[in-house]
Amino acid sequence: MRDFLKRHQISLLIILLVLVVVLIYSANLRTKTTTTLFERAVLTLTEPLQQAIDRTGASINGLWNNYLWLVDTRRQNIVTRQANRELRARLLAVREVTLENQRLKKLLDFVEADPRKVLPALVVAEDASSWAQTIVLDKGLRHGVQEGNPVVVAEGVVGRVIKVANNSSRVLLLTDAASSIAGLVQRTRTRGVVRGDGRELNLEFALRNDLIEVEDLIMTSGMGGVFPKGLIVGRVTAVQRNDFGLFQQIKLAPVVDFSRLEEVLVLMRPAE
Amino acid sequence: MRGLCFALFGGLIFMLLQTTIFPRFLPPEMRPNLLLILVIYLGLSESFLRAVFLTLLLGALQDVFCGSTFGLYVTVQLTVFLLIRLFSERLNVESRPLLLGLICAGTMLQTFLLGFLLTTFAEAGPVLWVLLSDLPFQIFVNLLAGWLLLLFLLRFQPLFGTRQGMAGLPYQSKYHGA
Repeated sequence: MRDFLKRHQISLLIILLVLVVVLIYSANLRTKTTTTLFERAVLTLTEPLQQAIDRTGASINGLWNNYLWLVDTRRQNIVTRQANRELRARLLAVREVTLENQRLKKLLDFVEADPRKVLPALVVAEDASSWAQTIVLDKGLRHGVQEGNPVVVAEGVVGRVIKVANNSSRVLLLTDAASSIAGLVQRTRTRGVVRGDGRELNLEFALRNDLIEVEDLIMTSGMGGVFPKGLIVGRVTAVQRNDFGLFQQIKLAPVVDFSRLEEVLVLMRPAE
Repeated sequence: MRGLCFALFGGLIFMLLQTTIFPRFLPPEMRPNLLLILVIYLGLSESFLRAVFLTLLLGALQDVFCGSTFGLYVTVQLTVFLLIRLFSERLNVESRPLLLGLICAGTMLQTFLLGFLLTTFAEAGPVLWVLLSDLPFQIFVNLLAGWLLLLFLLRFQPLFGTRQGMAGLPYQSKYHGA
């Protein structure tokens, strides 16, 4: 036995090492939203560098887009003006609905929940791989960010915080394959789970009998307690109903353009 | 010690490039994995123990900025390194085309390992299609990045000229040119 161990000590050590790292990975799968000391140290160390590079990049981009490359500006101007007119018209209609809503709330003696505190943050880095969907923000523990905080933009849900260091945090985007949140079809009130597939979104566990259509809006349902109810997640792009089975297959397009994220809002936990 | 610091510093610079510069200009599938190239290079050039230590550190560094679970890239990079090491003694490491061939093989191996670990342990099945559809682009950009890094290294070869068996570079003895 001793001879065998001596003869194969290098091979055995290598096997042991591989087993140990696989076990570390496997153990970390259970505690995805726990930031290790190593991760915290690296994030803290690299955050100023990433911010400096990001700012320099943004300045160069700004110089190029705002002063040197203006070919597209006129066309964009026309499109923006047209969109502005349409939005003004819609805003008038929304104002009417808001006023009506306020009157009805008063009437029902509606007790409004405390609105969550919102923390603006800058995106300073993206995931280093081609398949995972995460971003790094310039706000961390010092600003009150915690693992699990939802992250949004004006258009809708971005993702949730999974790792936090002193001055930075990492956010798992909605489109990552490891991401899933409870969703709700706005029109039919059908519940389901919105899951990322690495590029786009799928609505899973939506009952087959509910008539969901393309262009239907999907929102957060508030189940699970991470995301507040009513945040927009995406729009239905394809529905597939088989002749059998309990559920239908629904593909969604996220409402947020994840390739152009610059500023986001972190929703802080409501004070207890 | 100098080699160790160079590799760690290089790893940090590569990681900053991958997280801040590349995303500004390149779509996800066209961003090269510079740390993989570094690990392959270490597998061919460094002593075993030092290279294992560096590979573990570089894998952990990559885990901080990739995906959601710590340990994935440590496992992947270590396995890639060990397999490269297994063959390196039978290979002529000074050959540049061979190094590029190993980068190609390493990219495929890494995709396979990521797919295997993610589907087996994390049940992240859909990501397999993303990995497979990105593979041809990843091979191309990794080869391009490897070739550019070799050109860069060749330019500064006199600085490293006293070391033996540097992958992709012709051997120069300590007394070369004396």
